[in-house]
Amino acid sequence: MTIIIAILQAILLVSIAPLLSGITRKIRAKMHSRTGTSIFQDYYDLVKLWKRCEVKEGGSSIVSRLAPPIFLGSFILLATGLPLVMQACPIPIFGDIITILYLMALPRFMFALASIDSAGSYTAIGGVRELLVGVLIEPSLILVLFVMAVAASSTNVGIMAFSVANLSAYPFVAVVVAGVACAMACYIEMGKLPFDLAEAEQEIQEGPLAAYSGPSLAMMKLGVSLKQLVVASLFVAIFVPFGAAANAAPLELVCGLVAYLVKVLIVFLIASVIENAVMRVRYKFLGRYTWFVMGIASLSLVFLVIGI
Amino acid sequence: MFSYSLVNVLGACLIITSMMVVLARTRRAAAFLYSLQSLVLVGLLASLGAVTGSTELFTWSATAFATKVVLVPAILLFTLKKIGNDAQADLSPKLKPMKSVTLVAVEVFICFVAVSGIDLPTAAAVKPTLAVSLAHFFIGLTCIVIQRSIFKQIFGYCLMENGSHVTLALLAPQAPELVEIGVATDAIFAVIILAVLVWRMAHYAHTLDADDLCELKG
Repeated sequence: MTIIIAILQAILLVSIAPLLSGITRKIRAKMHSRTGTSIFQDYYDLVKLWKRCEVKEGGSSIVSRLAPPIFLGSFILLATGLPLVMQACPIPIFGDIITILYLMALPRFMFALASIDSAGSYTAIGGVRELLVGVLIEPSLILVLFVMAVAASSTNVGIMAFSVANLSAYPFVAVVVAGVACAMACYIEMGKLPFDLAEAEQEIQEGPLAAYSGPSLAMMKLGVSLKQLVVASLFVAIFVPFGAAANAAPLELVCGLVAYLVKVLIVFLIASVIENAVMRVRYKFLGRYTWFVMGIASLSLVFLVIGI
Repeated sequence: MFSYSLVNVLGACLIITSMMVVLARTRRAAAFLYSLQSLVLVGLLASLGAVTGSTELFTWSATAFATKVVLVPAILLFTLKKIGNDAQADLSPKLKPMKSVTLVAVEVFICFVAVSGIDLPTAAAVKPTLAVSLAHFFIGLTCIVIQRSIFKQIFGYCLMENGSHVTLALLAPQAPELVEIGVATDAIFAVIILAVLVWRMAHYAHTLDADDLCELKG
């Protein structure tokens, strides 16, 4: 039963990821006083790309060819494991924070590898920037998840969600502060302004995309929007599990699904408003923001240690 | 509802609000955030009063509300208004926000280690809050050291003062009102004197930058 839920939620996430990306684009256009493209534009793009033939760079190896399916596949696997509709993980082994962190690191690693593998020097710069973001933000995410693991006395995200939903996660303030730090870390992971511009992939963080075409590019594009959704879902699943189904009764599952969609939509709305209210930051200054997140994460660790 | 855990949660809120005071970008925001912090302090005193059943603490919280939530921020905002355009706008602190946050976290941790060695019957259940109150002394000191604006350094003093207030309430909840009056009036007069000094300096030297003011020797 839970395996079916896992597969269904992965399909759901993959199918709505381009829609949410389209909605954020539309919000940006509205905030810029433009009409903007349709919210289904990402679907049109994906379909068109899928039909095109693929052009490979001369000199690129199997790494470049493997990167897009691994990139997309890792996030689909992540999507199966998160406790989105239910408070418990549908597949517990994918809901462990160690698995989650490694599954998030794997696409980044493949991405960076593909950027070096590509013949263009421009893509390598994008890969380096992607790695830089990872190096700067992942320690805070690890620290936050560690705090949550101790607070809920389990490394399973489902049990964390359960303890937060019942307000039984022990050092209350530590959990709240960890939630703030996690929200900031997830925002940066989502690759939004001031750190990245979703429509200018070729330009910065997602540099290796410049080397792809056809179905590979479609997979990468879908992977990038799925990544945003998965990261937002991770935050929602752990820190805002309210409304998720406590058991597998059909009615509760439907309520949980509606609650999840509403929560994710709110997160995306807030993220896109923040995104359009700030300027893009130079990569040189990225560390300032990430260290601030690290500071808040370490404060939550201190609160955990002193037990408040 | 009223239990020691509520006191501890409010203690953590004190740390968060005092960090916001240290990180505040503008002087006005810092004054309002200080008022918010004092409100948390009032809540802490009142909840501690409810837990320990000490009526003195309720009077304490009432006087703290009058002096710290209303009077001290009002004096500071009035000073800001008086200074007006005499001195340049908000000076950025010497330390970057992330370093300040990490420093505060480290200070709280060290204070907790220090407090865990203390074995007092009155403070057994509120050890985290005791650590927080002790840490406030260091947070205040941090604020004084890292801020370039002498106006913002006043907040450092106020934070230290709030810390001593909490320590007193935790260790001696039955202390008579007279002691509290001592603490509260002390704060008021110190803030008035500091505010007058800041205003005079701004008027005379047209700067609030502590580094610039160092040159005014003799």
